[in-house]
Amino acid sequence: MTKAASVTEAMLSRRSIRAFSDRPVPLDVIRQVMDTARWAPSGCNFQPWEGAVLTGAPLRELQQKMLVSPPQDPKEYSWSDPEVLPECLARLHQVGADMYSAMNIERADKAARGDFMAQNLTSFDAPAVLLVYFPRVMGPPQWSDVGMWLQSVMLLLREAGLDSCPQEFLSLHARVIKDYLGVSDESHIFFCGIAIGYRIEDDPVNQFERKREELDAKVRFLGFE
Amino acid sequence: MDVSEAVASRRSVRAFLDRPVDPAVLRRVLEKAQNAPSGGNTQPWNATLLTGEPLARLVALVADTIPQGLAAYSAEYPVYPAELEGRYADSRFGVGEAMYAALEIPREDRAARLEVFRNNFRAFGAPVLMLIHTPRYMGLPQWSDIGMWLQTVLLLLREEGLDSCAQEAWAVYQKQIREIVEIPDDHIFFCGVAIGWGDREAAINRFPVPRVELDQVVRWEGF
Repeated sequence: MTKAASVTEAMLSRRSIRAFSDRPVPLDVIRQVMDTARWAPSGCNFQPWEGAVLTGAPLRELQQKMLVSPPQDPKEYSWSDPEVLPECLARLHQVGADMYSAMNIERADKAARGDFMAQNLTSFDAPAVLLVYFPRVMGPPQWSDVGMWLQSVMLLLREAGLDSCPQEFLSLHARVIKDYLGVSDESHIFFCGIAIGYRIEDDPVNQFERKREELDAKVRFLGFE
Repeated sequence: MDVSEAVASRRSVRAFLDRPVDPAVLRRVLEKAQNAPSGGNTQPWNATLLTGEPLARLVALVADTIPQGLAAYSAEYPVYPAELEGRYADSRFGVGEAMYAALEIPREDRAARLEVFRNNFRAFGAPVLMLIHTPRYMGLPQWSDIGMWLQTVLLLLREEGLDSCAQEAWAVYQKQIREIVEIPDDHIFFCGVAIGWGDREAAINRFPVPRVELDQVVRWEGF
């Protein structure tokens, strides 16, 4: 994918990539992205984000540990009601249905679906992964701040010609990750990984249509002429 | 405008020019921002944009409420974490002090500082105020999704030449907001975003807001 020349282009060309090429991510490129992303806003300028970027041998070593660990119980954090509410489940199932359909995986083929889900653990073969964590004391507005930083990272990656996939899935192995990184489980919560690399453009899993709600269902305008 | 320039040139703008914002531009920005990512495609963000008469009514109602002081506050979430350590504790008052220093308002002049703070509740003179709310059942990861969408909006506004200020301050007057704007009872009110053309010459828009060094925030393994 070509480098995004504008915010709009970055926005419209960003999608969650689930098939990466083996082309490595140069340190100077990813450092530049992370350096600029520091200018993301945060309430009170807390900058409540912390992370580690892994590639090569350390990344593979961590992935091996996750592959042999069961998902942790209890979970690192609650996905709350969106996990069970019909309107949210419908959206989640729609993404899954569109994705598996693009890959020609039948709904009934649980084994094939499971194999694909397991690829989350190796971040869809992305050569680099950003692991995101922060102090447990952070509340809802700071989680929003972390989101502002993450989206800055993902858009800046597009500007550098890179692609990404945010992976809350990795939180199923939060303690394994924190243990590997030497991050305190007591003081810090692990949020998500961001798979980073170059997309395989013609892979069907990177091409299915993503649906969004109509603007007027989300936004109202009052007092405008 | 490229992403780097948008990220680097965005700052919280607290003085705006008296110049209207084209609603077609706002629609364009928000249409594009719908492409923001969210876990499970939940898209947990909801917004109401005010200008003109409804915005003036909100500003007037809150102005009438301000004299009641803290007793009138009704934030539905903790704006600040209870216990902060290290660099987080250090940053708690940093922006405020830098701002008042730029305005040459000493700590003792509480009246002048309060007057500046109250500008929050005029959206700093911006012609548009966007109010953000979300269903109460949303959990912490969905708050992060809202942040991803919000930063997308702020960067797309920069691309249109517009400025903004994300204002959690409005959260303390969510009751008054609900008197003017119909926000569903089962939604929590998060924040306002002032939108307009920034007065980039104003001292309040020029003081530095430093960031933590990269290597204090991010570690690198295997490169």
